[in-house]
Amino acid sequence: MSNPVVHEANADTKLARSGPKKASTNISVSKYMAYTFLILLCVLWAIPVIFGITTSFRSQAEVVSSGFSLLPDNWIFDNYVTILQNTSTAPILRWLMNSVFIATMHTLLVIVVISITGYGYSRMNFKGRDTLFFTLLGISFFPGVVNLIPSYKIIDALGWVNTSWAMIIPGLAGMGNIFLVRQFMMGVPKDLDESARVDGAGDFRIYYSIILPLMKPVLIVCGLFSFTGSWNDFLWPVIVYTDVEKMPVTAGLLLLQDIYGNYRMIGQLMGSAILAIIPTLLLFLFAQKYFVQSINLNAGIKG
Amino acid sequence: MKKKSLTPYFFVGPHLILFIVFILLPTLYGIYASFTQWNLINDPVWVGLANYKTILFDAESTFYTQFMNGLKNTLIFVVLSVPILIVIPLMIAVSLEHKKVKMKNVIQSILYIPGLISISAAALIWSLIFNKQLGITNNVFGSETVWAANQPYAWLIIIVITVWGGVGGNMIIYRASISGVSKDLYESAEMDGAGPVRRFSSITLPSIRFPLIYTFVMTTAGAFNVFGQPLMMTDGGPRQSTTVLMMYIRQLAFGHGESIAGMASAMAVLLGLVILVISALQYYVMNRNAS
Repeated sequence: MSNPVVHEANADTKLARSGPKKASTNISVSKYMAYTFLILLCVLWAIPVIFGITTSFRSQAEVVSSGFSLLPDNWIFDNYVTILQNTSTAPILRWLMNSVFIATMHTLLVIVVISITGYGYSRMNFKGRDTLFFTLLGISFFPGVVNLIPSYKIIDALGWVNTSWAMIIPGLAGMGNIFLVRQFMMGVPKDLDESARVDGAGDFRIYYSIILPLMKPVLIVCGLFSFTGSWNDFLWPVIVYTDVEKMPVTAGLLLLQDIYGNYRMIGQLMGSAILAIIPTLLLFLFAQKYFVQSINLNAGIKG
Repeated sequence: MKKKSLTPYFFVGPHLILFIVFILLPTLYGIYASFTQWNLINDPVWVGLANYKTILFDAESTFYTQFMNGLKNTLIFVVLSVPILIVIPLMIAVSLEHKKVKMKNVIQSILYIPGLISISAAALIWSLIFNKQLGITNNVFGSETVWAANQPYAWLIIIVITVWGGVGGNMIIYRASISGVSKDLYESAEMDGAGPVRRFSSITLPSIRFPLIYTFVMTTAGAFNVFGQPLMMTDGGPRQSTTVLMMYIRQLAFGHGESIAGMASAMAVLLGLVILVISALQYYVMNRNAS
């Protein structure tokens, strides 16, 4: 980066920029264009969420009479009281608890599986290691739609239909996260684990006390995406769950249009949708930098 | 010595078992099932190419009609959604890279958040927004039609919710890639009198070629698997004009009445092949044009 030609170019641009006026008008015109575009998008993108939230605090009478408006005249909490008290046809608390259990268990197991497997494929030497890895990776590129129906049969054979295991376990087989962990570990120098090995430490010890802490950044990222992915999964739970008590919230919401009468109890519908959104939203607010940095890591590999 | 050679299998073994049980086996079985008559309960009965013949050539059969209609609608969705899901995130990323734009992280977060919302929650909110009596279509635009039940509005609302939820991921990939492009390139181009459009087409685009190919291929493959948006927003209507292939596959295999899983598997294999061929083509063409 520090070659003299580049420095020279830098110095030249500084001069050029302070000079002619045309360049700076160009910059301000393009600045306003960029701002207009971004702000317009932000407004369009935010309105549905805000509208959903505020509508969940309005009475049915108000929603029907006032047409489309962003803020309620009277803020009421009745909608939330109603949906939280429903424990039979649309037990939303139950669904949320199911989703929390599923997504948390899935995430923890993902972290265990990908760190152990990632260690195996990046730090251990055994015959055919890379051949095996790339064979699995290649197979996993085959479109998932083909294994959908037999996957249901397997879950059925295991007795997991209508249980949380149906959503916790199958996703652990994926190769994407292991690929990321392996890629990440290839960029980490081997000095630490090799000197530990010289000191007589075995693989389990090296994995647990040296590699696992080093993997933390990539594991956090994979964990966050596993959690949100599991929380928002839709097709699979719609297939696997018929028992209302056992569903995660995404599948449960599909039933709501019937239960709350095709937009005859709108506040309740919106309240349910908002409750289903809150956990991933909180996760994003607290761990925002990982969500963004994550894909950095991803793009670094692909580019 | 012998003990040492077994250790690696403790590390890669557990995942290998999971992979075999939940990916390899079901994929192979899915291909096998496509050559059978199967109701998900009894053992599949081998019928050779019969399912494929029906689906692809028997114009009298409802499976033929369903497959052709499902594939057509899936293709319409891909063609309508993918270009927008590439272009808008790219425009956002370029705008966010502008030196003078402030509050980049806030803007980025607002545009990213819908991607964290499940399709079922998003659809409940959007259906209200497009509701004839209560939403904006009537109250703001004065439209008298029920959008979810009339074309082209049915496609419009499916695309709107898809784009709303789908720009975030690609946006971040493009941002990361663009910020990795050397600033000196832009500055020397600016000195040579290249305008913003020229700089975008001769510096930005070539520099982010791999992320572009990657997102194009992945976004397209994802779009072929579309399911939740039409199911929740239009329920496949009006008159099955938004019923996508994934909905027919689910309906045949897991719908009411006896399962027709063999036929559904054949449709799934065909969809899988379409995805594979198109991904390969995209990769090949883009890679060749770029170099």
